Amino acid sequence: MPTYLIVPPTGGVDRLLGIAAPLDGPVVALVVGDTARAESVAHSGVDEVRWIEAAPQVPAEAYAAAVAGIVTSAPGVLLAGRDPASRVLLGAAAGAIGAPVLVGVDEVSTEAGTVVVQHGVYGGIAQRTTVFDGPVALMIDAGGVTAQAGAAPITAVEATPQSITLVSARSTGGGAVDLPAARRVLGVGRGVKAQADLALAQDLATALDAELGCTRPLAEGLEWLPKNRYIGISGAHIQPDLYLAVGVSGQLQHMAGVRASGTIVAINSDPSAPVMDDADYQVVGDLYKVLPALVAELAGNA
Amino acid sequence: MRIAVAYKWAGDPQEANVGPDGVVDMSRAKPVVSDYDAVAIAVGRQLADSNGAELIGLSVGDPAAAASMATKTALARGLDRVVVVTGAGLTSAGATRTASVLAEAVRRIGGVDLILTGDSSIDAGAKLVPAMLGGILGWPTLTDADKVSISQETVTLTRVVGDQEEQLAAGLPAVLAVSTDAAAVKAPGMKDVLAAGKKPVEVIAVTDLADAHAGEGAVRSARPLDPPARRRVRIDATDPAEAARTLLESLRADGVLALRKGE
Ligand SMILES: Cc1cc2nc3c(=O)[nH]c(=O)nc-3n(C[C@H](O)[C@H](O)[C@H](O)COP(=O)(O)OP(=O)(O)OC[C@H]3O[C@@H](n4cnc5c(N)ncnc54)[C@H](O)[C@@H]3O)c2cc1C
Ligand SMILES: Nc1ncnc2c1ncn2[C@@H]1O[C@H](COP(=O)(O)O)[C@@H](O)[C@H]1O
Repeated sequence: MPTYLIVPPTGGVDRLLGIAAPLDGPVVALVVGDTARAESVAHSGVDEVRWIEAAPQVPAEAYAAAVAGIVTSAPGVLLAGRDPASRVLLGAAAGAIGAPVLVGVDEVSTEAGTVVVQHGVYGGIAQRTTVFDGPVALMIDAGGVTAQAGAAPITAVEATPQSITLVSARSTGGGAVDLPAARRVLGVGRGVKAQADLALAQDLATALDAELGCTRPLAEGLEWLPKNRYIGISGAHIQPDLYLAVGVSGQLQHMAGVRASGTIVAINSDPSAPVMDDADYQVVGDLYKVLPALVAELAGNA
Repeated sequence: MRIAVAYKWAGDPQEANVGPDGVVDMSRAKPVVSDYDAVAIAVGRQLADSNGAELIGLSVGDPAAAASMATKTALARGLDRVVVVTGAGLTSAGATRTASVLAEAVRRIGGVDLILTGDSSIDAGAKLVPAMLGGILGWPTLTDADKVSISQETVTLTRVVGDQEEQLAAGLPAVLAVSTDAAAVKAPGMKDVLAAGKKPVEVIAVTDLADAHAGEGAVRSARPLDPPARRRVRIDATDPAEAARTLLESLRADGVLALRKGE
């Protein structure tokens, strides 16, 4: 059974390759994108590339039926990232072959032709080991693209896109950010009372050389920070050496994205906030006083 | 024109019980129409009103999803009618089976031009059902839709992906997952609740549909979440400067932060 990596025009493949490594069968990348994208994926360590050239002004999602078609002719294990285009392509492919899908995958191995997956359920409140004797689709953080020696052959696949067009695009000015790769992350929550006060958090993040992230309400609803900065089950899954949760209550949906952190520090005025149980250091106090004190202390030692 | 909104009647896992055997008991989690699905219904209502379309709620779940409490809650959010497909175990079914049952129901309803879904369900939260539904039906599918408008043949939307805001157009019929803040959601008023009781409800047994019961793998073992043990060292910040020093010293001692210069 082949393992397919579903690869849209942007995003990585390294973690998908890591998951694919122990599985039997060839690793086939299904790439939607331009020539350069197909080339770079061909050098990432896959066995084979099937390449659908995306037409100008046509988003990757328009090739969902084409990707599903390729998979249907030889079903296998499907792996994809968590970004919107990956989800649509993976969903269409898995739907076409009736493969079960899992998110929150921790580990994959193989035994006598079966695929054994260790994964979280219900947002990670419990874990299961599930054995599949046929195709299964797994959604994981894709990681980056690391060039390897040797190039896999690329076969171009003709495909007619579904009717989706990109009318226009503009930058939101938020800037790209790779939270999953950050070594230190400071996450802010609704304990911050006004958008202007984010400066306090940004100052500490700068002093610590940390990326600034947030809980979902700050990015959606309040829109104080761009959507690519929120952390949690439906946002970024991070694994820094140090995570500081500042004015974050620690709801399950947020903590699901930070559990892989090395050290967790919670700064919260409520000693019984759920985040405290998940923290190595529980700083009980007002973030408006603690953040400036930390900045001052770090500056004093510069 | 017909617009269908897929919504799930399910509880928040935050309120669930996890046994020592890792079995999740959702019976204590009170089912709701999640805020995210309510956003999809609100977007659907606006589109239906401005295009003279019918707005149909569509849900797949355990028999509880067809109870009048459940259907009235959904209808009070502004749906014209609801169709509920029920069967034991459907609420906890995986995205593949859920989407295949939803696709069958959409075919049965007939004449649907646009399917709206929420961003993610409150319990599974996989963000995959819309993608699978679109894939099974072969319809163009897009997610994270913010501002949505429709004409006879196309749906237009904006979305933010990474640091780009895009405007996209898709041919109908199509599937759209709306973002969590695509529309403001307000609590239904008394009038909405009263009107809900009079709206049509159709319940379909899943056994009456061609239910492509997707295999979901064999569960070999389950256990409660076993997060890395945390040290839970409490630092009182009544004196913020003192707390800052204590924290930074601890992090340095742990090797998480570099030692200060000169040490
Ligand atoms: C399906 C679904 C998916 C979701 N996905 C995500 C997700 O991916 N990521 C995510 O983050 N959330 C997600 N959520 C939302 C999540 O459930 C919580 O609502 C959210 O994480 C809470 O954000 P918060 O901690 O910022 O706010 P709150 O819960 O309001 O907490 C604020 C905290 O700040 C503290 N505080 C207040 N003032 C101060 C002060 N002066 N100093 C110090 N502390 C202070 C309070 O004690 C409190 O603990 C999801 C929800 C659902 C239903
Ligand atoms: N059982 C269901 N019945 C109806 N709609 C559903 C069901 N499950 C998921 N959906 C829809 O699909 C969206 C995404 O769900 P999920 O993929 O589970 O995160 C939800 O917001 C709903 O709109």
